[in-house]
Amino acid sequence: MDISLLAQFTVNGLMLGMMYALVAVGFTLFFGVLDIIVFSHGDVVMVGAFAALTGHYWLTGIYPDMSMWVELFFISCISIITVAAFGMIMAKTMILRLRSASPLNTLLATMMLGTVLREAVRLFFPGGSNPKPFPVLLPDISASFGDFTLRFDSVILFVLGALLIVSLHLLITKTKLGMAIRAVAQDEETARLMGVNFTLIVLITFAIGSAVAAFAGVMNGLYYNEINFGMGLLLGAIGFSAAIIGGLGNIYGAILGGFLFAGLQTLGAVAMPFASAYKDVFAFGVVILIMAWKPTGLIAEKTSERV
Amino acid sequence: MSDSLLQCTGLTMHFGGLAALSDMSLHINKGEVLGLVGPNGSGKTTFFNVVSGIYKPTCGTVIFDGKDITSESPQAVYNHGISRTFQLSRLCLELSVFDNIMIGNHKRLSRGFISNIFSRRKFNEEYEDGLKRATHILTALNPELANRMFDVVSELPMIDRRRIEICRALISKPKLLFLDEPSAGMTHEETRQLMDEILNMGSYAKGLSIVLIEHEMNVIKRVTDRCVVFNFGQKLFEGTYSEVIADPAVQEAYLGKEVE
Amino acid sequence: MSTNTTNSLSGVLCSFAFAGVITALMTAIFIVESQLLIAGVLLGTIGAIVISSKFGVTSIILKSLGENENLSNALAVLVTLALIVIFYDDHYVLFILCTILLYSVTVLGLNIQLGYAGLINFSGAAFFGVGGYTAAVLSQYHSIPPILTLVIGGIIAAIVGSILLLPILRTSGHYSALVTLAFALLFKVFLDVNDSLGGAQGVDVGSFTLFGWDFGNDITIGSYDVSFYVPYVLASLVMLCVVFFFVRRIERSWIGLCLDSVRIDEVSSSCFGINIVRWKIVAFTIGNFVAGLSGALYASILGYISPANFSFGDSLMFLSILLLGGIGNLWGTIIATAIVVVLPEKFQVIQEYRLFIYSTLVLLMIVYRPVGLLPRKTRTYRPGESS
Ligand SMILES: Nc1ncnc2c1ncn2[C@@H]1O[C@H](COP(=O)(O)OP(=O)(O)OP(=O)(O)O)[C@@H](O)[C@H]1O
Ligand SMILES: [Mg+2]
Repeated sequence: MDISLLAQFTVNGLMLGMMYALVAVGFTLFFGVLDIIVFSHGDVVMVGAFAALTGHYWLTGIYPDMSMWVELFFISCISIITVAAFGMIMAKTMILRLRSASPLNTLLATMMLGTVLREAVRLFFPGGSNPKPFPVLLPDISASFGDFTLRFDSVILFVLGALLIVSLHLLITKTKLGMAIRAVAQDEETARLMGVNFTLIVLITFAIGSAVAAFAGVMNGLYYNEINFGMGLLLGAIGFSAAIIGGLGNIYGAILGGFLFAGLQTLGAVAMPFASAYKDVFAFGVVILIMAWKPTGLIAEKTSERV
Repeated sequence: MSDSLLQCTGLTMHFGGLAALSDMSLHINKGEVLGLVGPNGSGKTTFFNVVSGIYKPTCGTVIFDGKDITSESPQAVYNHGISRTFQLSRLCLELSVFDNIMIGNHKRLSRGFISNIFSRRKFNEEYEDGLKRATHILTALNPELANRMFDVVSELPMIDRRRIEICRALISKPKLLFLDEPSAGMTHEETRQLMDEILNMGSYAKGLSIVLIEHEMNVIKRVTDRCVVFNFGQKLFEGTYSEVIADPAVQEAYLGKEVE
Repeated sequence: MSTNTTNSLSGVLCSFAFAGVITALMTAIFIVESQLLIAGVLLGTIGAIVISSKFGVTSIILKSLGENENLSNALAVLVTLALIVIFYDDHYVLFILCTILLYSVTVLGLNIQLGYAGLINFSGAAFFGVGGYTAAVLSQYHSIPPILTLVIGGIIAAIVGSILLLPILRTSGHYSALVTLAFALLFKVFLDVNDSLGGAQGVDVGSFTLFGWDFGNDITIGSYDVSFYVPYVLASLVMLCVVFFFVRRIERSWIGLCLDSVRIDEVSSSCFGINIVRWKIVAFTIGNFVAGLSGALYASILGYISPANFSFGDSLMFLSILLLGGIGNLWGTIIATAIVVVLPEKFQVIQEYRLFIYSTLVLLMIVYRPVGLLPRKTRTYRPGESS
């Protein structure tokens, strides 16, 4: 295989992997603190993208000739802040109520919640049922090495994503807030006894996870230059898959799972150039195989049921 | 040794670095009630779990009724004739009393599609038979409970749930019954009542050997023929109740608090 | 512990009256076109249910129906037959009836998996679709009798499902949910890109032919032009009756007991000799077979299927019906299916908002009434027997 083509695939795969990892991290964070899967998280990514688009309409309406960078900064902030608040409200009004339900019921309920978000955007966002063009806010520069073009905007997005993951890591491992989150994830009762405000920590966790999802949404929009109301379903399924194959509750597992899934899709496209349309079939097929091989994920927590 | 029913030799069970059982050797005679005592976490429940096949022992052997059943599946162990209750009640709370007891009667039930779904003759016979047996045992335990055969278990009080668990374990007519703290969650009076009921099971308990884990020393005193004291996964002492409480090592390990 | 209760006359009368009311209600819903009237009928129904619950009428009805199950089952069939007779020439209504009957069959299959064995299946629509595509392929060979097509559809679905058995048996909880979820997505993408099965455009399914009689043609009996859907509705009805009988028998047998036990507590099940692997395989395979069976018939009725019919959203719909009706309650399943299918069809105002309203309702339901419309009853092994 041509080396430059290979490089092209690698770069695209890394970009996808970063996006998936950002989504998967949310799944695993929420599972950590509440032991439930919040399947609507993929649709929160979509809401993030649409929030940014709304911000774009609004800002360009007021300041028609704003610089790209400034606008990018502002619409990212708008998206992240609104979606973080939205995540908190969702957690407070819906998700926390679901704690007593069976795992299946919560999974189904959050899938329904995802559908509600999707349908709400489709029905109530102006022209929401059609794909929407997303503004180009990064310089359209690229460097070519033979057949291989490295898009400058991809590099920026990737670096930003990596920075976000690193800061999330530092937040979780190094700060007092992170310690409280980990305490709640480990053992809710003990955390409460040690004076951790459980509800507050859960809400903050949802704010953080949703903010990361919003960023992933903006990233998605900037990368593909187009967003649509249905994009969250597949993203959610992939984020969920990534979090599971990594091993639920483990942030590194989620990141690994995200890049792995992107790797599989890319591999599917590279290895079967005659049938690259089958790349998702291939990726999900391998996910099923991984589950048969490692039933509790690649980085499994070691527990055996006490009788 | 000739009438020993269960013979365990060198049973060892490691959980990671923790030896929940180490080099445990003990035997149970036919028709005997053996008490297992020991401080919390000394490996009593783990012993049950290893023998009943839930955990595979790290090493050691289990001989039951002349057959080596080490590392066999829980299903196989049940079919050999060992039945048990659980420390934390594991009934199906949303099912009826009868359903729960029939789960214990699984040995006698046909599982084929023909007899279950199409020709119901065999099923009906098994149903009548199961109902008769369940009524018989429940009546011996508590006649009132026998009238609530089709009530949901979650509506019943703790002591009745214990009775149902025991009934579920007994209905298959096991040769060996493991009772894991049957008194947990009950008052002294209830415990005494329950133990009397078990010992008065009549036809269902003839020749039955029982291993009883119990913290309540009065119960141990009244019902056991012999006791084994566990400590840190090892056998600390073996003997009758009076020998056990006279032993200084046991007093230190287990009754220490009371003596102080 | 009373055995077979003798049917009180009032109970029988009450059951008949109830069947009459249901027939009238369904007829009204199908006939009325004006949205305002439909809203009126719906509100009236809800009002009637609320009021009759207040005065204990609902429980009397439920008791009468429960007292004599054979009669109730027969009455349900009669109601369906009456609707077929009333709407003998109305393609649209008959097709809706088929949909209700066949969706119910599929959900009953899922009920064996989830309601009894506790196996969550997010690819119900995929197995439904396997049956449908099997029928599409087989319909090219005219010599295959319809009943065989259906059975083969079911078998192929069961075989495809067996690919997932290993991961499903090894995983539990959310990990196991991922397996069927991944399969549902995989299946849809596969159909979309696979040209030999028509790709995203879909594929034609030939109508059934039996002894040279083509099911796709209208029938003339005397001076009546009977819709070609009538035989299909009858076939769907027979299928539902057979599957209903089968699932009911499973529930009321040791098989159902073993499945319940496996669902509720694997450890204690294994300590009483119950073979967990065997029962999970049995439940998963039967459920998929049933889904494939109904999918094959549904596809033959539609005459044309495409991947859009078998998306993840449809799997979710099947699961939600199960949950709405009350997991494990077979009548609940059928009632919930009827509601979910009929409402958006007849209530065109909400057509556009149907997914939105419907998912909101399911969400609220899970939060506020997780047992569903009709919660599952404690098992009795013989009809009419109760505590
Ligand atoms: N599945 C398991 N994984 C890890 N450790 C376990 C497991 N089961 C038991 N243990 C450990 O093995 C040790 C013995 O436990 P066990 O339950 O056998 O004690 P016990 O004598 O029954 O105590 P109690 O009187 O409290 O019931 C304990 O330290 C326990 O934490
Ligand atoms: Mg114990």
